[in-house]
Amino acid sequence: MADLQDDLHSAAEVGRVDDPLPEEAVVVGPEDYEPVSDPDDTPLTRARAVLAAHPVADGYSGLPAALRRLPWYDLDLGESAVDADVPRLRKGQVGAVFWSLHLPGGPGGDGAVGATLEQLDLAKAVVAAHEQGLRPARTAGEVADARNCGRVAVLFGPAGAAALGDSLSVLRSLHTLGLRVLTLAGTSWAGAAGLTRFGEEVVREMNRVGIVPDLSHASTPTIRRVLTLSKAPVLFTRSAARALRPHPANLPDDLLAEVGRAKGLCLVPLTAEQAGPGVRDVADHLDHVRSLAGPECVGLSGTYDTGSAHPQELHDTSCYPRLIAELLRRGWEESDVALLTWGNVQRVLRGADFAAHTAQQRRPPSTATITALDG
Amino acid sequence: MTSLDDARALLAEFPVVDGHNDLPWALREQVRYDLAARDIAGDQSAHLHTDIPRLRAGGVGAQFWSVYVRADQPDPVPATLEQIDCVRRLLERHPRDLAPALTAADMEAARAEGRIASLMGAEGGHSIGDSLGVLRGLYDLGVRYLTLTHNHNVAWADSATDEPGVGGLSAFGREVVREMNRLGMLVDLSHVAATTMRDALDATSAPVIFSHSSARAVCDHPRNIPDDVLERLPANGGVAMVTFVPKFVLQAAVDWTAAADENMRAHGFHHLDTTAEGMKVHRAFEETHPRPVATVSTVADHLDHMREVAGIDHLGIGGDYDGTAFTPDGLGDVSAYPNLIAELLDRGWSRPDLAKLTWQNAVRVLGAAEDVSRDLRASRAPSHATLASLDG
Repeated sequence: MADLQDDLHSAAEVGRVDDPLPEEAVVVGPEDYEPVSDPDDTPLTRARAVLAAHPVADGYSGLPAALRRLPWYDLDLGESAVDADVPRLRKGQVGAVFWSLHLPGGPGGDGAVGATLEQLDLAKAVVAAHEQGLRPARTAGEVADARNCGRVAVLFGPAGAAALGDSLSVLRSLHTLGLRVLTLAGTSWAGAAGLTRFGEEVVREMNRVGIVPDLSHASTPTIRRVLTLSKAPVLFTRSAARALRPHPANLPDDLLAEVGRAKGLCLVPLTAEQAGPGVRDVADHLDHVRSLAGPECVGLSGTYDTGSAHPQELHDTSCYPRLIAELLRRGWEESDVALLTWGNVQRVLRGADFAAHTAQQRRPPSTATITALDG
Repeated sequence: MTSLDDARALLAEFPVVDGHNDLPWALREQVRYDLAARDIAGDQSAHLHTDIPRLRAGGVGAQFWSVYVRADQPDPVPATLEQIDCVRRLLERHPRDLAPALTAADMEAARAEGRIASLMGAEGGHSIGDSLGVLRGLYDLGVRYLTLTHNHNVAWADSATDEPGVGGLSAFGREVVREMNRLGMLVDLSHVAATTMRDALDATSAPVIFSHSSARAVCDHPRNIPDDVLERLPANGGVAMVTFVPKFVLQAAVDWTAAADENMRAHGFHHLDTTAEGMKVHRAFEETHPRPVATVSTVADHLDHMREVAGIDHLGIGGDYDGTAFTPDGLGDVSAYPNLIAELLDRGWSRPDLAKLTWQNAVRVLGAAEDVSRDLRASRAPSHATLASLDG
């Protein structure tokens, strides 16, 4: 497998010799992209056609915590108390969604591990109770399978770093239970000063098991260190452009360029606070991130059901076609839209699995402890 | 052929399912989970009761590895996940000898392949942090039994070795049992108070186990099972797995242990301390106070009694190796099970009876719990009851 990272072999040669990855793993360049919409149609009609082929992979939903507050709900028929239910996910042409396991009361110290297990258990139960609409997914392949079966793929994460209880064993257990994204902020080993030695070991172990680092809300030193350290692509599950809107979780231009060079993925949140009050503001952020980081490094984060206010016209998960129509109106290539909505998230998930397979050949599970490394 | 040869021949066909082994805790305490420092592929008799060559010599075909953590741990849930991770790493390191097993069918498959089926049991309700969500998380990670308490009460269940609290199981405690039934996780009644045993037998719809407990009528220690509870096993279908721990099975040892525990505490150690320093203090005490010696025969006496009361279909073995400082003569480590089987052969136990004791009963119980789970999952959603909502 390591051959794939060796410059001596061209991608074509590797594909011919033993084709170790599914075909979709090869990044489709714009020249290979086959348009699915009629350029003469209205932007909204075109948006629906593109989304039918390349649905939205939404990088952040607060639904598990939101449902926790409800005594009763029905996501199949429609649930007005939340921003996402199966009919509106379908109407919005959402194909996959990351369900946040961040704890409602903040990062939390003692008890964070158990609380995260409970949140994960609840999320799994909700998915299991809506099997006509939702399907749990752990890998890019399972996401594609869910989509082929007409289900919205649900991925579990991000969880907060406190969910590890400072233990790599807990990290591995959470991976076994389905966690796929972890936010590297809010602990002693991933704080304002950046990663400690244990923090770096956490990132290496995340790479080894296949948990994607989330750097939204991480400190700048942490972001810079993880961008160079991580063997797998990183996510920013909720970050827009700071040049357009000064929010601490938004990324300044120099970091956006670094994210592009590291082939990370910046998911722009559809919130009024981080992106702005209208659909055009969100599109401005997407334009900006695309131009600095590149079309392979920008994606969408609904950030629904988190208590945040959303731009007008993007008030719930049914509204994505309006945003895509705006981008097409601005002249986005269909191929770039396809990457934005679906392709980039799939690339990151594949990258995490690939890095894990490679690392597992080389490294046993880490037994490092925070006391041994950070004293 | 001696009866020991007969015992070995029998175990080759019907190996031992052992209900409780504390190797993961020993690895945590001795080497902070550095599995290379206690490589169980080779002889570890200097440090441990357990390694693969001795499991093989002992005719062990399935082991419930205990993922025990102390109840006074600041947060027992992550500590339990670390223990589970330790077992998973052990299985990854020794794939030719240890077979991950989650079901009765997995146990039979491992036996057919000549590998040791490896299951996990959590020892004490504190490991679920009063949460059914955490309970389900442990199940998803492979845990197949939960001992409702360890040496101390939890908020919803009384321990055998603590003062009466809720008087058995609370409403939430009964809900824990029902949710375990739904999941297919065995309810383990070792360590719990007799009141808890009775409440759990009333609440459960699946067979229960005692992962490591002997007979109270033979040796009056609260860790053992009273006859009225043993008598309920035929109706319940469960299995009592006899333990070897001298301080539970031999009355003289019960009394001696009370004195030894007092000595440990006087030296500033927890009375269950098994570190090198703790053991040193223990040994010094032993030099001046000769330890009463349990034997293979002591354990066989318990089995004879349990058989009389509960019946041959409701017996098993749970040695508690690496969870106890002392062992009976002739049962010094995991290689010694043939000695017990030989003793029982000498006492006239038949081969079919012994096959039930060593293998068939325990496998049957796990399979029965799976059957109950299948039915319950079809009719009942996961419970989201909380300690606060049920016990107020």
